[in-house]
This record gives sequence, C-alpha cells and structure tokens, in this order.
Amino acid sequence: MASSYWDSTQKKFWTFSKPQLALERKRLEDSERNVVNMYPLPDRRHLSIYFYHQLSKMARPLGIRQQALATAQVYVRRFYVRVEIRRTNPALVLATALYLACKMEECPQHIRMVLAEARHCWDTSFNDISKIGECEFTLISEMNSQLIIHHPYRSLAELQSQFQLTQEENSLAWSIINDHYLTDLPLLHAPHVIAITAMFLAVVLKPTQGGLQVHAAGVASALQALGNARGGAGQGTQNRVQKLVDWLAESTVDIEAVVECTQELISLYEIWDSYAEKTCKDQIAKFVKARGLEK
Amino acid sequence: MFTGYNTKKRVNERYKIIGFISSGTYGRVYKAESRNANPPNSKLFAIKKFKPDKEGELQYSGISQSAIREMALCTELAHPNVVHTVEIILEEKCIFIVFEYAEHDLLQIIHHHNTGGQGGRQAIPARTIKSILWQLLQGLVYLHRNWVMHRDLKPANIMVTSAGKVKIGDLGLARLFYKPLQSLFSGDKVVVTIWYRAPELLLGSRHYTPAVDLWAVGCIFAELLSLRPIFKGEEAKMDGKKTVPFQRNQMQKIVEIMGMPSKERWPLLTSMPEFPQLSSLAAGNARFHRPQGLENWYQGCLKNNQYPPGSGPDTPGPEGFDLLQQLLEYDPQKRLTADKALLHPYFTSHGNPSENCFEDSKIKYPVRRVSQEDNDIRTGSLPGTKRSGLPDDSLIGRPAKRLKEG
Ligand SMILES: Nc1ncnc2c1ncn2[C@@H]1O[C@H](COP(=O)(O)OP(=O)(O)OP(=O)(O)O)[C@@H](O)[C@H]1O
Ligand SMILES: [Mg+2]
Repeated sequence: MASSYWDSTQKKFWTFSKPQLALERKRLEDSERNVVNMYPLPDRRHLSIYFYHQLSKMARPLGIRQQALATAQVYVRRFYVRVEIRRTNPALVLATALYLACKMEECPQHIRMVLAEARHCWDTSFNDISKIGECEFTLISEMNSQLIIHHPYRSLAELQSQFQLTQEENSLAWSIINDHYLTDLPLLHAPHVIAITAMFLAVVLKPTQGGLQVHAAGVASALQALGNARGGAGQGTQNRVQKLVDWLAESTVDIEAVVECTQELISLYEIWDSYAEKTCKDQIAKFVKARGLEK
Repeated sequence: MFTGYNTKKRVNERYKIIGFISSGTYGRVYKAESRNANPPNSKLFAIKKFKPDKEGELQYSGISQSAIREMALCTELAHPNVVHTVEIILEEKCIFIVFEYAEHDLLQIIHHHNTGGQGGRQAIPARTIKSILWQLLQGLVYLHRNWVMHRDLKPANIMVTSAGKVKIGDLGLARLFYKPLQSLFSGDKVVVTIWYRAPELLLGSRHYTPAVDLWAVGCIFAELLSLRPIFKGEEAKMDGKKTVPFQRNQMQKIVEIMGMPSKERWPLLTSMPEFPQLSSLAAGNARFHRPQGLENWYQGCLKNNQYPPGSGPDTPGPEGFDLLQQLLEYDPQKRLTADKALLHPYFTSHGNPSENCFEDSKIKYPVRRVSQEDNDIRTGSLPGTKRSGLPDDSLIGRPAKRLKEG
C-alpha cells in the first residue's frame, strides 16, 4: 500500500461517503431536472457495463493495458459526478478519458488513433481530433488536474505474496477488481480495502466457479465469515478462509468497509443478468440526438 | 461537448504579469503578482505557460504527455522543499501552472560566485552548501517516498527563495515508479540532462531507479563546491537515427575522475547494454589508467576555492568528501538513498544545517532578471519548435534542453 495514497488527492477530494455521493448527484440532477425527467437512463451499473464494453472495444486494437482502462473508467465516473451526463456526448467523454488515461499510465496513444477507434465503435459524428482535445480540457478542469489514480492492483500484488495466493485465486481477485470499476466503489473506498475484498472473495468463492457467476451459497458463506471476523477471531477450522478471517479480525482493516464492498459487488453480479446493451445504447442516443450533442 | 470548453478562471483576471523570465523547452515562464492579494503585490508568482499543442495551432490537438505529468504531479505534491503549485488554469487552449515565486535558483547562485559580484570568483560558503544540500535531500526524500523520480535534477531546476528555502522545481520529466505494475522501462529511454546523468543510464540500463536522482545530487554537490560542472561531457547527437547513441564523451569525463567502474564494485556492470563500449573507451586513453581520483579532485577543489584545511563549520571537510563519494557511487544499488544521505555525519558534525541557506551569509545575490520583451501572457509569442506526431518522449533523446513531444 503506497504511503502516498494517504495524502493523495484521491483520498482528499475523490473519496465520498455514500450519502455524500448521493447528495452530489441529486444536486446535479436537480440542476437539470427537466432533461433528467425527459430522458430516463438505465441503472448506473448497466451504463457502466456499457461504457466498459465501449472502452474495451476502443482499447483492444490499440493494445491498451488494463490499468489504463481502469483509470479511464475512474475518470468517467468522477466526471459524471461533476457534470450531468445528459449535457454530454458520452462517446466523446469515453474516448477522451481513454486518451488521457493512456498518457497518465505511461502508455500514450496518438490522438488520431483514439479518434479512429472511437469512430469505429460508435456511430457518432464527431470526426475531429479537436473535439477530443477540447473535451480533454473539460475533463482535466472538472477533475481539478487531479489525475493520479491509486488502483487496488498494486495492493493485490502485495497481498498475493503475503498470503501466497494461487494463480487462480490471484486472477479471480484481479478480475473482481476489474469489476469493481463498474460500481461506485472507486469513489467510496480506499484501494487496499478493495484489494482485500477482492482477495477475500476470490479465496471464498474458489476460481473453479468461474468468475462472475457467483454462487448464492458462496456469497452467504463469505458474508458469514466476515461476520465472524467482526466478532473477533474465530477458532477451530484451519482452512484458508479461516486464516484470512483471523487476519482480518486482527488487522486494522475496516471490516465494515469490506462487508460493504462485498455487498456492492454481489449486487453488481445480480443486476448484471438484466443488462441489455441495446437499452443503454438507445437511451443514450436519444438525448444525444435530441440535444444535438454529437456535433 | 455541448457548450464547448468554458474556462472557469482567467489568468489575466487573477494575475498581473510583471515580466518574462524564461523560455524553456515546453513554454514560457512569467513573473506575476496577484490582482486580489492584500496588499496587491504582497505575493509573487511564476506562471509557466505551456505551448499550445502545435505552433500557431488554433485548434485543440491534445496536451503533451509531459504537460499532463507535470500538471498531475504538481497538483498531487506538497512539501516545503518542492516548489509549491498555487493553481492550474486551463484557458482557451493554453495551460498555465501558477507556482509560488522563487527569487533565485542554483544555476544563478553558482554563476554569481563564478563571476563574483565583488572581486572575482568566490567560493560558496560551506554552511550555505550544507543547507542547500540538506533541503534538497529533504525534498527528494519526499518525492521518492511518494514514488516520484524527478529525473532532471540540475542547478537550473532547483529554486531558492529569498528566505533561503530550497525548492525542487520542474517536474516536467518526473515520473511515478510504482513497482509491481508500471512498466517504467518502456517509453522514454533517455532522461536527465547529460552532465547529471547517472552512469547506469549512460550504459543503457533499462532498470533505472530513484538512484539516478542521487547521482545528480552528487554532481550538484560537486558543482556547488567547485563552481563548475564536475563531469562536463559533450552530448552525442541523435544523428537522425532512432537509436539513442552511447554518450561516449560523458562517460569518459566520469571515468577520468572516478576511474573505470569494476565488476567487483558493481556486480551488474557487465550486464549493462553498453558495457562493451566501456573497454573500447579505455583503449588508447592514458588517463583511464591513471584517473585523477575523486579524492584528489576534492582536495584540489577545496584548495582552489580556499576552504580552510581540516574539519569545521567553514569547510565541507572530510565528511563532505565521504558523502560525495557515496553519492557518486557507480553501483546504483550501493549509492546512498536520499533517506540515508540525510543521516550522513556531514550534516551532523559541526552543527545542524540551517533551514535558511543564506543564514550567516553576507553575500547579496542579484534578483532574478525579468524582461519586458513579452508581457502578454495570453497572446505572447512562443518559441518556434515544430512538433512531430509522436505521442510522448519515447524516441527522443535529450540534449541540454529537452526536446518537445508531439
Ligand atoms: N517558481 C519559480 N520562480 C521563479 N522562477 C522560476 C520558477 N519556476 C521556474 N522558473 C524559471 O523558469 C525556468 C524554466 O522553468 P522550468 O524548468 O520549470 O521549465 P522548462 O520548460 O522545463 O525549462 P527547461 O527545459 O529549461 O528545464 C527555470 O529555470 C527558472 O529560471
Ligand atoms: Mg527546467
């Protein structure tokens, strides 16, 4: 866990409590009440899944690393805490966030390449690099130039060696971290809390169960194990879950936070089933067209 | 975006430009005062204006990677020995980083002692040097703890305020070096102005570390003592080729004083990409076999600059030599870290270093020169460099001034 997280702008300015975040968003929606009512949008997590697919589509041909993608996702999420989505062209915001994230994560892409990929995967009509260049100014300015993102991947790497996670556990934890960008968790919790949650879930759920399709039973036992940790270290069963739980109970890690993250992830997996790309696409297209935002 | 980019703050509304300071690689630096401070000119600022992406370009075409890095780092970092960033203004295709103003920098201070305000060359007082180094290392400890390598430490980038506070500036080349994930070694291959460039970089190492900054600190220490760059090599140019040339002359300058690096002292030496070049360097060069030796260089320098012999508060003394030697250590793994350097006896024997490097010094340094040649920060012309389409500094070597990126 990098010492720098504790003094970071991420901690100071971009980590919210749940009510705070809700308030920020309500304020934003209230300021655009009419448009918000006129153009209802899918669940935020569905939108996030859609955004993630679009970002991946742009990123893949360019060989952009996962971490840059994650940074772009955080930028988008931060931006939409400050700017009402219905005032923007999400296609442009996503392309710009990706372009900016690549520079920050030391894998820069030429602006023309990003534009080309954006045009390829959205039937949008912005066709000029200056659009991305201008949107970059907006993005940076809304984020107050606070562009450094602390990701849980780094904490996971430390946990991996500490707990000697198996290859499978590690890659499951890694993909759980990937998934957390589809939720508000990056705005709610410290990266090491996310990493611990991911590791914990990975160990409890066992990689054989194949990533996303989470067993109800597995989840129940995860929560129960966490409940035990809350009550202090348990004795008896010498399995790995128990060891983890004991470690959690003795560490200074905020177990409430881990429980909250776990629940957030689980409800993401539940709602994932009802995801429909077309709905997201259409509903975005509606306000973009109607308000002439694609230009 | 629906409405286009709307700036929230305007630089001219908030600051009054007093004059023009310098035209750097990435843009221009202006001296300014606040329009709404009380009293009005109580606070001074240096405003760095980045060139818009392309010369004469009227459109947005993407911000250069190094400007992005600098903005992000300046926003994130806060330490008494790192130049304080007041705010960043994005306004109509231009980026302005507003810094607290520093009246001096080390280049200027060294220059003043070289030409001598009063009667020729005059050494920098030993106490001043100790305080500068102390403060510089404090700033560096902070950067390194926060996973930031500066990569371009040199006298011109180290500011000193009129109150004698040393501030590390110019984070334009600085980078984060998170270990497990960042593939640091891709991307830019060459960093740090050649005279201050660490031997592992000269030998083509891809696995460089924060130790490169400590080599630079060693070079700066030596320069403060002798008033001349200790290893003043000539830059080998790129020749239009895409490969970065071996900096033969620079390496030669180092070896002439330090002697050849050996694999006994530096076990990984032989795995350096440019290691074979080293033996060819030695061939037919007599000085290689009889290098001056850092100790001789040091003693000669103290004598020349009339530091009193022996040990005491008015000379860097034997402690100074020991510190210098450990900073100019060939093996980056053996080189002192910034933390360790602060614990060196140099800083504790003969009294603690002052937090004001001018304390007890009678020397009056000239104030920073500003010109009136260009006072319009909004429209002021920019130095003409043509930009390529390169997205970052990956292929670009760095001569005395860093080349810009696309
Ligand atoms: N805070 C400051 N106060 C006063 N002068 C400053 C300040 N920051 C920078 N300067 C002046 O402006 C010059 C250029 O600044 P800086 O090094 O940040 O820009 P740069 O474009 O990276 O230049 P270069 O390529 O020459 O290093 C400095 O060498 C110094 O003379
Ligand atoms: Mg500079």
